[in-house]
Amino acid sequence: MSALIKSLSTTFITSPPNFFIVDAITIKDLKKIYPKTEALKGITFSIQEGEFFGLLGPNGAGKTTAIHILTGLANKTSGEVTLFGKDVVKDYKEARALIGLVPQEFNFDQFEKVYNILYFASGYFGIPSDLRKKRIEKVLKELGLWEKKDMKAITLSGGMKRKLMIARALVHEPKILILDEPTAGVDVETRKSIWQFIRKLNKSGVTILLTTHYLEEAEELCERIAIINHGEITTLDSKNNLLKLLEGERLCLTLKEELKIPANLKKYDVTINGKIMTIALDQKKDKWETVLADIQGLPIEKMETHKNKLEDIFIHLTNGK
Amino acid sequence: MGNNTGMWTLAQRETSRFLRVWQQTIIPPVITSTLFILIFGYSLGSRIKMVGDVGYLEFIIPGLLMMGVIMSAYMNTSSSLFISKFQKNIQEMLVSPLSYWQIIAALTMAAVFRGVLVGVSILGVSYIFADITVSNFFILSYFMIMVSTIFAFAGIATALWATSFDKMNVFATFIITPLTYLGGVFFSIQMLPPMWQNVARFNPILYMVDGFRYGFIGTSDVSLGFSIGLVAVLVIGFGALCVHLFKIGYRLRD
Ligand SMILES: Nc1ncnc2c1ncn2[C@@H]1O[C@H](COP(=O)(O)OP(=O)(O)OP(=O)(O)O)[C@@H](O)[C@H]1O
Ligand SMILES: [Mg+2]
Repeated sequence: MSALIKSLSTTFITSPPNFFIVDAITIKDLKKIYPKTEALKGITFSIQEGEFFGLLGPNGAGKTTAIHILTGLANKTSGEVTLFGKDVVKDYKEARALIGLVPQEFNFDQFEKVYNILYFASGYFGIPSDLRKKRIEKVLKELGLWEKKDMKAITLSGGMKRKLMIARALVHEPKILILDEPTAGVDVETRKSIWQFIRKLNKSGVTILLTTHYLEEAEELCERIAIINHGEITTLDSKNNLLKLLEGERLCLTLKEELKIPANLKKYDVTINGKIMTIALDQKKDKWETVLADIQGLPIEKMETHKNKLEDIFIHLTNGK
Repeated sequence: MGNNTGMWTLAQRETSRFLRVWQQTIIPPVITSTLFILIFGYSLGSRIKMVGDVGYLEFIIPGLLMMGVIMSAYMNTSSSLFISKFQKNIQEMLVSPLSYWQIIAALTMAAVFRGVLVGVSILGVSYIFADITVSNFFILSYFMIMVSTIFAFAGIATALWATSFDKMNVFATFIITPLTYLGGVFFSIQMLPPMWQNVARFNPILYMVDGFRYGFIGTSDVSLGFSIGLVAVLVIGFGALCVHLFKIGYRLRD
Protein backbone atom coordinates (compact mmCIF):
# COMPACT_ATOMS: atom_id res chain seq x y z
CA MET A 1 0.00 0.00 0.00
CA SER A 2 2.61 2.51 1.04
CA ALA A 3 4.73 1.41 -1.91
CA LEU A 4 1.82 2.20 -4.18
CA ILE A 5 1.38 5.64 -2.71
CA LYS A 6 5.09 6.21 -3.03
CA SER A 7 5.20 5.25 -6.67
CA LEU A 8 2.08 7.29 -7.38
CA SER A 9 3.50 10.34 -5.70
CA THR A 10 6.83 10.08 -7.49
CA THR A 11 5.17 9.86 -10.90
CA PHE A 12 3.08 12.82 -9.93
CA ILE A 13 6.06 14.86 -8.91
CA THR A 14 8.32 13.96 -11.80
CA SER A 15 5.68 14.46 -14.49
CA PRO A 16 3.03 16.89 -13.33
CA PRO A 17 -0.14 16.81 -15.39
CA ASN A 18 -0.82 19.63 -17.83
CA PHE A 19 -3.59 21.34 -15.90
CA PHE A 20 -0.98 22.00 -13.27
CA ILE A 21 0.55 25.05 -14.93
CA VAL A 22 1.81 27.19 -12.12
CA ASP A 23 2.47 30.89 -11.97
CA ALA A 24 5.99 31.45 -10.72
CA ILE A 25 5.48 35.19 -10.38
CA THR A 26 2.19 37.05 -10.12
CA ILE A 27 2.11 40.83 -9.96
CA LYS A 28 -1.24 42.57 -9.50
CA ASP A 29 -1.72 46.31 -9.79
CA LEU A 30 1.66 47.00 -8.23
CA LYS A 31 2.30 50.61 -7.36
CA LYS A 32 5.38 52.27 -5.98
CA ILE A 33 5.44 55.93 -5.14
CA TYR A 34 8.68 57.56 -4.07
CA PRO A 35 8.49 61.02 -2.49
CA LYS A 36 9.10 62.68 -5.85
CA THR A 37 8.45 59.91 -8.36
CA GLU A 38 5.68 57.54 -9.22
CA ALA A 39 8.02 54.73 -10.18
CA LEU A 40 5.33 52.08 -10.79
CA LYS A 41 1.82 53.12 -11.72
CA GLY A 42 0.01 49.83 -11.20
CA ILE A 43 1.61 47.08 -13.22
CA THR A 44 0.05 43.66 -13.68
CA PHE A 45 1.49 40.53 -15.23
CA SER A 46 2.39 36.98 -14.40
CA ILE A 47 5.19 34.66 -15.37
CA GLN A 48 4.71 30.93 -15.64
CA GLU A 49 6.97 28.33 -14.17
CA GLY A 50 9.83 27.57 -16.53
CA GLU A 51 9.40 30.70 -18.61
CA PHE A 52 12.18 32.99 -19.80
CA PHE A 53 10.68 36.43 -19.39
CA GLY A 54 12.17 39.78 -20.35
CA LEU A 55 11.36 43.14 -18.82
CA LEU A 56 12.50 45.76 -21.23
CA GLY A 57 12.55 49.49 -20.80
CA PRO A 58 14.61 52.66 -20.93
CA ASN A 59 16.48 54.18 -17.99
CA GLY A 60 14.20 55.09 -15.14
CA ALA A 61 11.30 53.00 -16.44
CA GLY A 62 10.84 51.18 -13.14
CA LYS A 63 12.49 47.83 -13.84
CA THR A 64 14.77 47.79 -10.82
CA THR A 65 12.01 49.10 -8.60
CA ALA A 66 9.79 46.18 -9.60
CA ILE A 67 12.57 43.69 -8.98
CA HIS A 68 13.38 45.20 -5.60
CA ILE A 69 9.79 44.76 -4.50
CA LEU A 70 9.86 41.14 -5.65
CA THR A 71 13.02 40.40 -3.70
CA GLY A 72 12.42 42.30 -0.49
CA LEU A 73 14.73 45.23 -1.17
CA ALA A 74 11.94 47.79 -1.50
CA ASN A 75 8.52 48.20 0.07
CA LYS A 76 5.56 48.39 -2.29
CA THR A 77 3.06 51.21 -1.99
CA SER A 78 0.11 48.99 -2.97
CA GLY A 79 -0.75 45.94 -5.00
CA GLU A 80 0.08 42.29 -4.61
CA VAL A 81 3.09 40.18 -5.50
CA THR A 82 3.24 36.43 -5.04
CA LEU A 83 5.88 33.86 -5.95
CA PHE A 84 4.48 30.36 -6.39
CA GLY A 85 1.55 31.60 -4.34
CA LYS A 86 3.68 33.02 -1.52
CA ASP A 87 3.09 36.67 -0.75
CA VAL A 88 6.38 38.58 -0.76
CA VAL A 89 5.38 40.51 2.36
CA LYS A 90 3.25 38.12 4.40
CA ASP A 91 5.17 34.93 3.59
CA TYR A 92 8.46 36.69 3.06
CA LYS A 93 10.66 33.83 4.24
CA GLU A 94 9.08 31.24 1.94
CA ALA A 95 8.99 33.70 -0.95
CA ARG A 96 12.65 34.66 -0.60
CA ALA A 97 13.81 31.07 -0.44
CA LEU A 98 12.51 30.68 -4.00
CA ILE A 99 14.54 33.47 -5.56
CA GLY A 100 18.08 34.05 -6.66
CA LEU A 101 18.84 37.69 -7.42
CA VAL A 102 21.57 39.10 -9.61
CA PRO A 103 21.26 42.81 -8.88
CA GLN A 104 22.12 45.68 -11.19
CA GLU A 105 24.72 47.12 -8.84
CA PHE A 106 27.56 45.29 -7.12
CA ASN A 107 26.43 44.46 -3.61
CA PHE A 108 28.98 42.12 -2.12
CA ASP A 109 31.60 42.78 0.53
CA GLN A 110 34.43 44.06 -1.66
CA PHE A 111 37.08 42.98 0.81
CA GLU A 112 35.85 39.44 1.21
CA LYS A 113 37.20 36.50 -0.73
CA VAL A 114 35.13 35.17 -3.62
CA TYR A 115 34.68 31.79 -1.99
CA ASN A 116 33.59 33.23 1.34
CA ILE A 117 31.06 35.52 -0.30
CA LEU A 118 29.32 32.50 -1.78
CA TYR A 119 29.78 30.44 1.36
CA PHE A 120 28.11 32.96 3.65
CA ALA A 121 25.40 34.16 1.26
CA SER A 122 24.19 30.62 0.59
CA GLY A 123 24.45 29.86 4.28
CA TYR A 124 21.83 32.52 4.92
CA PHE A 125 19.54 30.40 2.77
CA GLY A 126 19.99 27.53 5.18
CA ILE A 127 22.07 25.29 2.91
CA PRO A 128 24.16 22.92 5.05
CA SER A 129 27.89 23.54 4.95
CA ASP A 130 28.91 20.34 3.09
CA LEU A 131 26.37 20.86 0.36
CA ARG A 132 27.41 24.49 0.01
CA LYS A 133 31.02 23.52 -0.53
CA LYS A 134 30.10 21.10 -3.31
CA ARG A 135 27.78 23.49 -5.06
CA ILE A 136 30.15 26.45 -4.81
CA GLU A 137 32.89 24.46 -6.48
CA LYS A 138 30.52 23.39 -9.22
CA VAL A 139 29.11 26.82 -9.99
CA LEU A 140 32.47 28.59 -9.80
CA LYS A 141 33.95 26.08 -12.20
CA GLU A 142 31.02 26.43 -14.58
CA LEU A 143 31.43 30.18 -14.63
CA GLY A 144 35.20 30.03 -14.93
CA LEU A 145 35.87 31.66 -11.56
CA TRP A 146 37.32 28.73 -9.67
CA GLU A 147 40.89 30.00 -10.00
CA LYS A 148 39.80 33.26 -8.41
CA LYS A 149 38.16 31.72 -5.39
CA ASP A 150 40.75 32.99 -2.91
CA MET A 151 40.94 36.48 -4.36
CA LYS A 152 39.25 39.43 -2.75
CA ALA A 153 36.20 40.51 -4.73
CA ILE A 154 37.63 43.99 -5.21
CA THR A 155 40.48 42.54 -7.28
CA LEU A 156 38.15 40.98 -9.87
CA SER A 157 37.43 42.58 -13.23
CA GLY A 158 33.98 44.02 -13.89
CA GLY A 159 32.88 41.01 -15.92
CA MET A 160 34.10 38.63 -13.24
CA LYS A 161 32.19 40.58 -10.61
CA ARG A 162 29.01 40.09 -12.66
CA LYS A 163 29.71 36.38 -12.83
CA LEU A 164 30.38 36.32 -9.11
CA MET A 165 26.91 37.74 -8.53
CA ILE A 166 25.41 35.15 -10.86
CA ALA A 167 27.21 32.40 -8.96
CA ARG A 168 26.04 33.80 -5.65
CA ALA A 169 22.41 33.75 -6.83
CA LEU A 170 22.59 30.05 -7.66
CA VAL A 171 24.24 28.21 -4.78
CA HIS A 172 20.90 27.77 -3.00
CA GLU A 173 19.37 26.48 -6.28
CA PRO A 174 16.44 28.88 -6.55
CA LYS A 175 13.35 28.10 -8.63
CA ILE A 176 13.28 31.67 -9.90
CA LEU A 177 16.34 33.54 -11.10
CA ILE A 178 16.03 37.29 -11.43
CA LEU A 179 18.72 39.12 -13.35
CA ASP A 180 18.79 42.91 -13.41
CA GLU A 181 20.90 43.84 -16.42
CA PRO A 182 23.32 40.97 -15.97
CA THR A 183 25.51 41.87 -18.90
CA ALA A 184 25.92 45.60 -18.30
CA GLY A 185 29.55 46.49 -18.90
CA VAL A 186 30.53 43.03 -20.04
CA ASP A 187 32.48 42.25 -23.23
CA VAL A 188 30.92 40.39 -26.15
CA GLU A 189 32.54 37.08 -25.40
CA THR A 190 31.64 37.09 -21.71
CA ARG A 191 28.13 38.20 -22.60
CA LYS A 192 27.72 35.22 -24.90
CA SER A 193 29.00 32.85 -22.24
CA ILE A 194 26.58 34.32 -19.70
CA TRP A 195 23.73 33.93 -22.19
CA GLN A 196 24.62 30.34 -22.78
CA PHE A 197 24.84 29.71 -19.07
CA ILE A 198 21.45 31.15 -18.20
CA ARG A 199 19.80 29.52 -21.19
CA LYS A 200 21.00 26.20 -19.87
CA LEU A 201 19.60 27.01 -16.44
CA ASN A 202 16.25 27.82 -17.99
CA LYS A 203 16.29 24.52 -19.87
CA SER A 204 16.82 22.76 -16.56
CA GLY A 205 13.56 24.27 -15.32
CA VAL A 206 14.54 27.53 -13.63
CA THR A 207 12.09 30.37 -14.27
CA ILE A 208 13.95 33.44 -15.41
CA LEU A 209 13.09 37.11 -15.23
CA LEU A 210 15.60 39.34 -16.92
CA THR A 211 15.77 43.08 -17.40
CA THR A 212 17.90 44.62 -20.04
CA HIS A 213 18.55 47.59 -22.28
CA TYR A 214 20.15 45.36 -24.84
CA LEU A 215 17.41 44.44 -27.25
CA GLU A 216 19.67 41.89 -28.79
CA GLU A 217 19.75 40.20 -25.42
CA ALA A 218 15.95 40.04 -25.07
CA GLU A 219 15.60 38.91 -28.66
CA GLU A 220 18.20 36.22 -28.14
CA LEU A 221 16.89 34.84 -24.86
CA CYS A 222 13.34 35.70 -23.90
CA GLU A 223 10.16 33.88 -24.83
CA ARG A 224 7.88 36.63 -23.63
CA ILE A 225 8.63 40.29 -23.26
CA ALA A 226 7.01 43.10 -21.35
CA ILE A 227 7.92 46.62 -22.29
CA ILE A 228 7.81 49.07 -19.42
CA ASN A 229 8.02 52.82 -19.69
CA HIS A 230 7.35 55.54 -17.10
CA GLY A 231 6.16 52.90 -14.64
CA GLU A 232 3.60 51.35 -16.97
CA ILE A 233 3.58 48.17 -18.99
CA THR A 234 2.97 49.36 -22.52
CA THR A 235 3.23 46.01 -24.27
CA LEU A 236 3.29 42.40 -23.22
CA ASP A 237 3.53 39.65 -25.76
CA SER A 238 5.57 36.72 -26.95
CA LYS A 239 8.75 37.70 -28.70
CA ASN A 240 7.51 36.17 -31.93
CA ASN A 241 4.31 38.17 -31.88
CA LEU A 242 6.20 41.33 -31.15
CA LEU A 243 8.47 40.72 -34.08
CA LYS A 244 5.46 40.04 -36.30
CA LEU A 245 3.90 43.28 -35.17
CA LEU A 246 6.43 45.18 -37.18
CA GLU A 247 7.19 42.48 -39.64
CA GLY A 248 8.75 43.82 -42.77
CA GLU A 249 11.73 45.70 -43.97
CA ARG A 250 12.91 49.23 -44.27
CA LEU A 251 14.62 50.71 -47.23
CA CYS A 252 17.08 53.43 -46.25
CA LEU A 253 18.24 55.82 -48.92
CA THR A 254 21.02 58.32 -48.47
CA LEU A 255 20.37 61.09 -50.94
CA LYS A 256 22.75 63.56 -52.50
CA GLU A 257 20.53 66.46 -51.45
CA GLU A 258 17.63 67.09 -49.10
CA LEU A 259 14.23 66.53 -50.67
CA LYS A 260 10.56 66.67 -49.80
CA ILE A 261 8.62 63.42 -50.08
CA PRO A 262 7.90 62.99 -53.81
CA ALA A 263 4.24 62.58 -54.74
CA ASN A 264 4.63 59.08 -56.12
CA LEU A 265 6.06 57.86 -52.80
CA LYS A 266 3.20 59.20 -50.67
CA LYS A 267 1.48 55.80 -50.79
CA TYR A 268 4.34 54.38 -48.69
CA ASP A 269 5.23 54.99 -45.06
CA VAL A 270 8.08 57.42 -45.67
CA THR A 271 10.10 59.45 -43.19
CA ILE A 272 12.78 61.97 -44.03
CA ASN A 273 15.59 62.93 -41.75
CA GLY A 274 17.99 65.31 -43.47
CA LYS A 275 19.36 63.47 -46.45
CA ILE A 276 18.16 60.12 -45.20
CA MET A 277 14.89 58.82 -46.52
CA THR A 278 13.39 55.73 -44.92
CA ILE A 279 10.64 53.74 -46.55
CA ALA A 280 8.97 51.19 -44.29
CA LEU A 281 7.71 48.29 -46.35
CA ASP A 282 4.79 46.13 -45.53
CA GLN A 283 5.66 42.68 -46.77
CA LYS A 284 2.08 41.84 -47.59
CA LYS A 285 1.27 44.94 -49.59
CA ASP A 286 4.41 46.37 -51.07
CA LYS A 287 6.24 44.68 -53.91
CA TRP A 288 9.95 45.27 -54.37
CA GLU A 289 9.64 45.79 -58.12
CA THR A 290 7.09 48.60 -57.76
CA VAL A 291 9.10 50.21 -54.99
CA LEU A 292 12.27 50.12 -57.05
CA ALA A 293 10.43 51.57 -59.99
CA ASP A 294 9.03 54.36 -57.80
CA ILE A 295 12.40 55.45 -56.46
CA GLN A 296 13.95 55.68 -59.85
CA GLY A 297 15.19 59.13 -60.64
CA LEU A 298 15.95 60.06 -57.03
CA PRO A 299 19.51 61.33 -56.44
CA ILE A 300 20.57 58.23 -54.51
CA GLU A 301 24.04 58.07 -53.05
CA LYS A 302 23.67 54.90 -50.98
CA MET A 303 20.95 52.32 -50.49
CA GLU A 304 20.49 49.81 -47.65
CA THR A 305 17.73 47.54 -46.43
CA HIS A 306 17.06 46.61 -42.80
CA LYS A 307 14.97 43.86 -41.35
CA ASN A 308 12.89 45.06 -38.42
CA LYS A 309 14.22 44.10 -35.05
CA LEU A 310 12.94 44.32 -31.55
CA GLU A 311 14.83 47.57 -31.32
CA ASP A 312 12.51 49.16 -33.84
CA ILE A 313 9.47 47.94 -31.98
CA PHE A 314 10.95 49.32 -28.82
CA ILE A 315 11.56 52.75 -30.30
CA HIS A 316 8.15 52.63 -31.91
CA LEU A 317 6.40 51.74 -28.66
CA THR A 318 8.29 53.86 -26.20
CA ASN A 319 7.85 56.91 -28.38
CA GLY A 320 4.19 56.47 -27.68
CA LYS A 321 3.27 56.04 -31.34
CA MET B 1 11.57 28.23 13.23
CA GLY B 2 13.23 26.83 10.16
CA ASN B 3 16.41 28.42 9.04
CA ASN B 4 18.80 28.04 11.98
CA THR B 5 21.69 27.23 9.67
CA GLY B 6 21.22 30.72 8.23
CA MET B 7 21.36 32.35 11.61
CA TRP B 8 24.47 30.45 12.66
CA THR B 9 26.14 31.26 9.37
CA LEU B 10 25.60 34.95 9.97
CA ALA B 11 26.79 34.68 13.57
CA GLN B 12 29.87 32.85 12.33
CA ARG B 13 30.58 35.51 9.73
CA GLU B 14 30.22 38.28 12.29
CA THR B 15 32.47 36.49 14.75
CA SER B 16 35.22 35.77 12.27
CA ARG B 17 35.01 39.38 11.15
CA PHE B 18 36.17 40.70 14.51
CA LEU B 19 38.44 37.78 15.43
CA ARG B 20 40.38 38.23 12.20
CA VAL B 21 41.39 41.71 13.37
CA TRP B 22 41.70 40.93 17.08
CA GLN B 23 44.56 43.40 17.37
CA GLN B 24 42.05 46.14 16.61
CA THR B 25 39.01 44.70 18.35
CA ILE B 26 40.18 42.93 21.49
CA ILE B 27 43.49 44.53 22.44
CA PRO B 28 42.65 48.28 22.51
CA PRO B 29 39.97 48.11 25.23
CA VAL B 30 42.29 45.95 27.32
CA ILE B 31 45.04 48.54 27.01
CA THR B 32 42.67 51.38 27.87
CA SER B 33 41.47 49.57 30.99
CA THR B 34 45.01 48.76 32.05
CA LEU B 35 45.95 52.43 31.74
CA PHE B 36 42.97 53.41 33.86
CA ILE B 37 43.93 50.83 36.47
CA LEU B 38 47.47 52.20 36.58
CA ILE B 39 46.44 55.85 36.73
CA PHE B 40 43.50 55.63 39.09
CA GLY B 41 44.39 52.53 40.99
CA TYR B 42 47.93 53.40 41.84
CA SER B 43 48.56 57.09 41.60
CA LEU B 44 45.23 58.60 42.56
CA GLY B 45 43.46 55.70 44.22
CA SER B 46 45.59 55.79 47.32
CA ARG B 47 44.25 59.27 48.04
CA ILE B 48 40.58 58.41 47.50
CA LYS B 49 38.84 57.21 50.63
CA MET B 50 36.31 54.52 49.99
CA VAL B 51 32.89 53.98 51.44
CA GLY B 52 32.93 50.71 53.27
CA ASP B 53 35.92 48.42 53.26
CA VAL B 54 36.41 47.90 49.50
CA GLY B 55 39.71 49.10 48.08
CA TYR B 56 39.52 51.64 45.27
CA LEU B 57 41.06 49.27 42.70
CA GLU B 58 38.56 46.51 43.52
CA PHE B 59 35.86 49.13 43.20
CA ILE B 60 36.78 50.50 39.77
CA ILE B 61 37.81 47.27 38.02
CA PRO B 62 34.22 46.00 37.55
CA GLY B 63 33.29 49.41 36.15
CA LEU B 64 36.22 49.48 33.76
CA LEU B 65 35.35 45.99 32.67
CA MET B 66 31.76 46.99 32.02
CA MET B 67 32.98 50.00 30.02
CA GLY B 68 35.02 47.73 27.77
CA VAL B 69 32.13 45.30 27.38
CA ILE B 70 29.65 48.06 26.49
CA MET B 71 31.89 49.66 23.87
CA SER B 72 32.90 46.36 22.30
CA ALA B 73 29.37 45.08 21.92
CA TYR B 74 28.21 48.40 20.57
CA MET B 75 31.09 48.72 18.11
CA ASN B 76 30.63 45.22 16.78
CA THR B 77 27.06 45.52 15.59
CA SER B 78 27.17 49.18 14.65
CA SER B 79 30.32 49.04 12.55
CA SER B 80 29.48 45.75 10.90
CA LEU B 81 25.97 46.76 9.97
CA PHE B 82 26.99 50.22 8.87
CA ILE B 83 29.72 48.90 6.61
CA SER B 84 27.40 46.34 5.09
CA LYS B 85 24.84 49.05 4.48
CA PHE B 86 27.54 51.17 2.89
CA GLN B 87 28.81 48.34 0.66
CA LYS B 88 25.24 47.15 0.12
CA ASN B 89 26.13 43.58 1.08
CA ILE B 90 23.42 43.88 3.70
CA GLN B 91 21.19 43.03 0.74
CA GLU B 92 22.57 39.50 0.93
CA MET B 93 20.73 39.14 4.24
CA LEU B 94 17.65 41.02 3.12
CA VAL B 95 17.01 38.82 0.08
CA SER B 96 17.56 35.65 2.09
CA PRO B 97 14.88 33.77 4.03
CA LEU B 98 16.44 34.83 7.32
CA SER B 99 13.73 36.25 9.54
CA TYR B 100 14.30 39.68 11.00
CA TRP B 101 14.78 38.41 14.49
CA GLN B 102 17.28 35.84 13.24
CA ILE B 103 19.38 38.57 11.64
CA ILE B 104 19.25 40.56 14.85
CA ALA B 105 19.98 37.52 17.01
CA ALA B 106 22.99 36.54 14.90
CA LEU B 107 24.49 40.03 14.94
CA THR B 108 23.87 40.23 18.67
CA MET B 109 25.38 36.85 19.51
CA ALA B 110 28.63 37.83 17.84
CA ALA B 111 28.63 41.19 19.62
CA VAL B 112 27.98 39.59 23.01
CA PHE B 113 30.78 37.15 22.32
CA ARG B 114 33.14 40.03 21.59
CA GLY B 115 31.97 41.81 24.74
CA VAL B 116 32.60 38.74 26.84
CA LEU B 117 36.03 38.14 25.28
CA VAL B 118 37.04 41.71 26.04
CA GLY B 119 35.59 41.44 29.54
CA VAL B 120 37.46 38.25 30.31
CA SER B 121 40.69 39.69 28.92
CA ILE B 122 40.41 42.78 31.09
CA LEU B 123 39.64 40.57 34.06
CA GLY B 124 42.74 38.54 33.33
CA VAL B 125 44.91 41.66 33.28
CA SER B 126 43.26 42.97 36.45
CA TYR B 127 44.42 39.91 38.41
CA ILE B 128 47.95 41.20 37.98
CA PHE B 129 47.12 44.41 39.84
CA ALA B 130 44.48 43.53 42.35
CA ASP B 131 42.97 40.80 44.46
CA ILE B 132 39.78 40.20 42.58
CA THR B 133 37.15 38.08 44.22
CA VAL B 134 33.90 37.00 42.68
CA SER B 135 31.04 37.05 45.13
CA ASN B 136 28.22 36.00 42.83
CA PHE B 137 29.12 34.49 39.47
CA PHE B 138 25.53 34.29 38.33
CA ILE B 139 24.84 38.00 38.84
CA LEU B 140 28.12 38.87 37.19
CA SER B 141 27.32 36.80 34.09
CA TYR B 142 23.78 38.11 33.97
CA PHE B 143 24.93 41.70 33.77
CA MET B 144 27.78 40.99 31.40
CA ILE B 145 25.54 39.22 28.89
CA MET B 146 22.44 41.36 29.26
CA VAL B 147 24.35 44.64 29.05
CA SER B 148 26.27 43.57 25.97
CA THR B 149 22.93 42.54 24.45
CA ILE B 150 21.48 45.99 25.13
CA PHE B 151 24.40 47.74 23.47
CA ALA B 152 24.49 45.28 20.59
CA PHE B 153 20.85 46.21 19.94
CA ALA B 154 21.67 49.91 20.33
CA GLY B 155 24.47 49.45 17.81
CA ILE B 156 22.05 47.88 15.33
CA ALA B 157 19.55 50.72 15.75
CA THR B 158 22.19 53.44 15.31
CA ALA B 159 23.72 51.74 12.27
CA LEU B 160 20.29 51.65 10.66
CA TRP B 161 19.66 55.28 11.50
CA ALA B 162 23.10 56.61 10.55
CA THR B 163 23.54 57.85 7.02
CA SER B 164 27.19 58.80 7.49
CA PHE B 165 30.20 57.83 9.56
CA ASP B 166 29.88 61.07 11.54
CA LYS B 167 26.38 60.22 12.64
CA MET B 168 27.57 56.81 13.72
CA ASN B 169 29.94 58.45 16.16
CA VAL B 170 27.32 60.76 17.60
CA PHE B 171 25.74 58.09 19.75
CA ALA B 172 29.06 56.75 21.04
CA THR B 173 30.62 60.14 21.70
CA PHE B 174 27.68 62.09 23.03
CA ILE B 175 25.71 59.41 24.81
CA ILE B 176 27.57 56.24 25.67
CA THR B 177 30.91 57.75 26.69
CA PRO B 178 29.56 60.49 28.99
CA LEU B 179 26.99 58.20 30.55
CA THR B 180 29.62 55.56 31.27
CA TYR B 181 32.07 58.03 32.78
CA LEU B 182 29.29 59.44 34.92
CA GLY B 183 27.79 56.01 35.56
CA GLY B 184 29.67 55.30 38.74
CA VAL B 185 32.66 53.61 37.16
CA PHE B 186 35.13 55.73 39.08
CA PHE B 187 33.08 56.76 42.09
CA SER B 188 30.29 55.59 44.29
CA ILE B 189 27.22 57.79 43.95
CA GLN B 190 27.15 57.95 47.72
CA MET B 191 30.19 60.21 47.37
CA LEU B 192 28.04 62.77 45.52
CA PRO B 193 26.01 65.54 47.12
CA PRO B 194 22.31 64.56 47.43
CA MET B 195 21.14 66.65 44.50
CA TRP B 196 23.68 65.11 42.13
CA GLN B 197 22.82 61.69 43.47
CA ASN B 198 19.27 62.26 42.21
CA VAL B 199 20.50 63.37 38.81
CA ALA B 200 22.81 60.37 38.58
CA ARG B 201 19.89 58.04 39.17
CA PHE B 202 18.52 58.92 35.72
CA ASN B 203 21.55 57.36 34.12
CA PRO B 204 20.77 53.75 33.13
CA ILE B 205 24.44 52.82 32.92
CA LEU B 206 24.73 53.48 36.65
CA TYR B 207 22.51 50.47 37.33
CA MET B 208 24.42 48.28 34.90
CA VAL B 209 27.76 49.10 36.50
CA ASP B 210 26.37 48.86 40.00
CA GLY B 211 24.70 45.50 39.44
CA PHE B 212 27.75 44.11 37.72
CA ARG B 213 29.96 45.30 40.56
CA TYR B 214 27.70 43.48 42.99
CA GLY B 215 28.76 40.27 41.26
CA PHE B 216 32.31 40.98 42.41
CA ILE B 217 32.14 42.77 45.73
CA GLY B 218 28.75 41.59 46.97
CA THR B 219 27.38 45.05 47.81
CA SER B 220 25.61 47.64 45.71
CA ASP B 221 24.88 51.37 45.87
CA VAL B 222 21.36 51.04 44.51
CA SER B 223 18.80 48.27 44.76
CA LEU B 224 20.10 45.14 43.01
CA GLY B 225 16.59 43.98 42.22
CA PHE B 226 15.84 47.24 40.44
CA SER B 227 19.05 47.00 38.39
CA ILE B 228 18.26 43.44 37.35
CA GLY B 229 14.76 44.47 36.32
CA LEU B 230 15.87 47.59 34.48
CA VAL B 231 18.43 45.68 32.45
CA ALA B 232 15.81 43.10 31.47
CA VAL B 233 13.37 45.84 30.45
CA LEU B 234 16.05 47.54 28.34
CA VAL B 235 16.89 44.28 26.57
CA ILE B 236 13.24 43.80 25.67
CA GLY B 237 12.77 47.44 24.68
CA PHE B 238 15.81 47.70 22.43
CA GLY B 239 15.15 44.24 21.00
CA ALA B 240 11.60 45.21 20.07
CA LEU B 241 12.88 48.44 18.54
CA CYS B 242 15.33 46.54 16.33
CA VAL B 243 12.75 44.02 15.15
CA HIS B 244 10.37 46.87 14.40
CA LEU B 245 13.00 48.77 12.41
CA PHE B 246 13.79 45.69 10.32
CA LYS B 247 10.14 44.98 9.80
CA ILE B 248 9.39 48.41 8.38
CA GLY B 249 12.74 48.34 6.60
CA TYR B 250 13.84 51.58 8.23
CA ARG B 251 16.58 52.98 5.95
CA LEU B 252 17.06 49.46 4.65
CA ARG B 253 14.32 49.24 2.07
CA ASP B 254 13.23 52.24 0.00
N1 LIG C 1 15.30 55.15 -3.67
C1 LIG C 1 14.66 55.96 -4.53
N2 LIG C 1 14.16 57.12 -4.10
C2 LIG C 1 13.50 57.93 -4.95
N3 LIG C 1 13.28 57.66 -6.24
C3 LIG C 1 13.75 56.49 -6.72
C4 LIG C 1 14.47 55.58 -5.90
N4 LIG C 1 14.80 54.51 -6.64
C5 LIG C 1 14.33 54.74 -7.87
N5 LIG C 1 13.69 55.92 -7.93
C6 LIG C 1 13.05 56.51 -9.12
O1 LIG C 1 12.14 55.58 -9.65
C7 LIG C 1 12.18 55.60 -11.08
C8 LIG C 1 12.44 54.20 -11.59
O2 LIG C 1 13.76 53.81 -11.27
P1 LIG C 1 14.33 52.36 -11.55
O3 LIG C 1 15.65 52.25 -10.89
O4 LIG C 1 13.30 51.36 -11.20
O5 LIG C 1 14.51 52.40 -13.13
P2 LIG C 1 15.13 51.29 -14.09
O6 LIG C 1 14.06 50.94 -15.06
O7 LIG C 1 15.73 50.19 -13.32
O8 LIG C 1 16.26 52.13 -14.81
P3 LIG C 1 17.72 51.69 -15.31
O9 LIG C 1 17.52 51.05 -16.63
O10 LIG C 1 18.41 53.00 -15.45
O11 LIG C 1 18.32 50.82 -14.29
C9 LIG C 1 13.23 56.61 -11.46
O12 LIG C 1 12.60 57.81 -11.77
C10 LIG C 1 14.05 56.78 -10.21
O13 LIG C 1 14.59 58.07 -10.09
MG1 LIG D 1 17.58 49.44 -13.12
